[in-house]
Amino acid sequence: MPPAIIVEHVSKEFILRHNRAMGLKTRFLGLFHKNKREKREHFLALDDVSFTLEQGEALGLLGHNGSGKSTLLQIIAGILQPSKGRVIANGRVAPLIQLGVGFNPELTGYENIFLNASLYGFLNKEVKKRVKSIIEFSELEHFIDTPLKNYSSGMQMRLGFAVAVNLQPDILLADEILAVGDQAFQDKCLDKIAEMRKNGMSLILVSHSQEQVSKFCDHFIRLERGVMLENGSIGEAWE
Amino acid sequence: MPNPIAATFRPYWQYRDLVRNLVIKDLKVRYQGAVLGFFWSLGNPLALILLYDFVFTHIFRSDLPNYILYLVIGVLHYNLFSQAVSQSCESLTSASGLIQKIYFPRILVPTSSLLFTLALWVIAIFILVILYPFLGGIYHWGLLLYPLALGLYIAFIWGIVLTFSVLQVELRDLKHLVDIALMFGFWFTPIGYDIHVLKPTTREIISLNPLTQFMDLFHALLYAGTLPALNHVLIASAWTIGTVTVGMILFRRKARHLVEDL
Ligand SMILES: Nc1ncnc2c1ncn2[C@@H]1O[C@H](COP(=O)(O)OP(=O)(O)O)[C@@H](O)[C@H]1O
Ligand SMILES: [Mg+2]
Repeated sequence: MPPAIIVEHVSKEFILRHNRAMGLKTRFLGLFHKNKREKREHFLALDDVSFTLEQGEALGLLGHNGSGKSTLLQIIAGILQPSKGRVIANGRVAPLIQLGVGFNPELTGYENIFLNASLYGFLNKEVKKRVKSIIEFSELEHFIDTPLKNYSSGMQMRLGFAVAVNLQPDILLADEILAVGDQAFQDKCLDKIAEMRKNGMSLILVSHSQEQVSKFCDHFIRLERGVMLENGSIGEAWE
Repeated sequence: MPNPIAATFRPYWQYRDLVRNLVIKDLKVRYQGAVLGFFWSLGNPLALILLYDFVFTHIFRSDLPNYILYLVIGVLHYNLFSQAVSQSCESLTSASGLIQKIYFPRILVPTSSLLFTLALWVIAIFILVILYPFLGGIYHWGLLLYPLALGLYIAFIWGIVLTFSVLQVELRDLKHLVDIALMFGFWFTPIGYDIHVLKPTTREIISLNPLTQFMDLFHALLYAGTLPALNHVLIASAWTIGTVTVGMILFRRKARHLVEDL
């Protein structure tokens, strides 16, 4: 079986644009005023990161704020292009960088399920087959035909999570999404992820909580200012 | 390896329901279920037509027979262009929330913005279909070519829509300039007047406007009841190839890194 994800020497350089000229007008002014001109600075957010995730494995991504975890996840999801190196993914990748991407407050919960799922490349007829289990999992049967603007933020997250997990991805990329919602639903989400893992799903989990990572993951990677500091398996030595 | 053309389009075809859902979302949000709101979208072109009819019959005299029909055809088709182009400028920048969080073919964002405008426009075109016989429209076989002319026009607009949606990411005030240009564009297009009444030099300037060529196709088919002149068809096709090529190349080069500048 080929690995689920291969990350090969991935680097990502952002161009920080101080004083960014947002329009023609500011560009024009920049011709005359030196201090209004845009200054560019190169910033290395990821520096030569390599790892392999075998199918069915779970990897925890640890690191301080700004260490490049989200950037790495966005590159694996194909949202960002790496400046160097490459990523090979075998299977359907579902990024969960935010729950309920594309949710619109004016549409009903039901309509939003279809909109959100089609962003993951699903056809409406495929979603129809799953819509019942999505609604069931979200525990929002009574509200599903009311506009999303009447939902609490916790309810919206429940719906977003219900869609994402019921699309049965091969590889789930979760970016600190489990730190939200009430405890009961959070536990339900974690149970669901554990169940999907048992059925062979691969997982990359970004988390602040060392405890969560040790509970869920076989391996971990620690990033520090874009550099991979540690890369190991979670064994007895882990604390 | 199966058909390479099919292989190129498969990733987009996979997302066809995304385009549909985005267009339906925009329609629902715009009208929030109010059926009346839908008919208000007719109000704008109707008011415009009444205004221009007043201006062109009472202030500048026009000798064109069935003048209102001539005018309606021009206004409706110009509206399609101006609304699509103006809308689409901000299509990518306002979809930044999606683009930063999930991967899908980016070209679908400006494309569904265009389709949304088109969906509204189809309602407006109903006015024309209903009024057509009363305004002196001629039923002839050439009308069957109208969908082809419209398709060519939509492709031409699509190329511009792609181009401007990408440029707007770099130049955030582009939409303001485009909106002003669209206001001027109306008068540089033979919509309320016949190009043949102009002085030769003015006529040449107006002919440089690609919309003039398209208006000629629509006026020939829908107003004069004839087939358009071949040279107009060729020039319009050349413009279409031009805008689509520029739009596609620009989009291909910029789309991958777009997300970092949103
Ligand atoms: N689009 C961008 N343009 C410029 N810099 C960025 C961009 N996205 C992220 N960065 C920078 O890259 C670094 C890593 O960010 P991120 O991956 O979000 O960190 P983490 O998720 O580990 O907190 C940060 O310093 C951030 O400012
Ligand atoms: Mg982050």
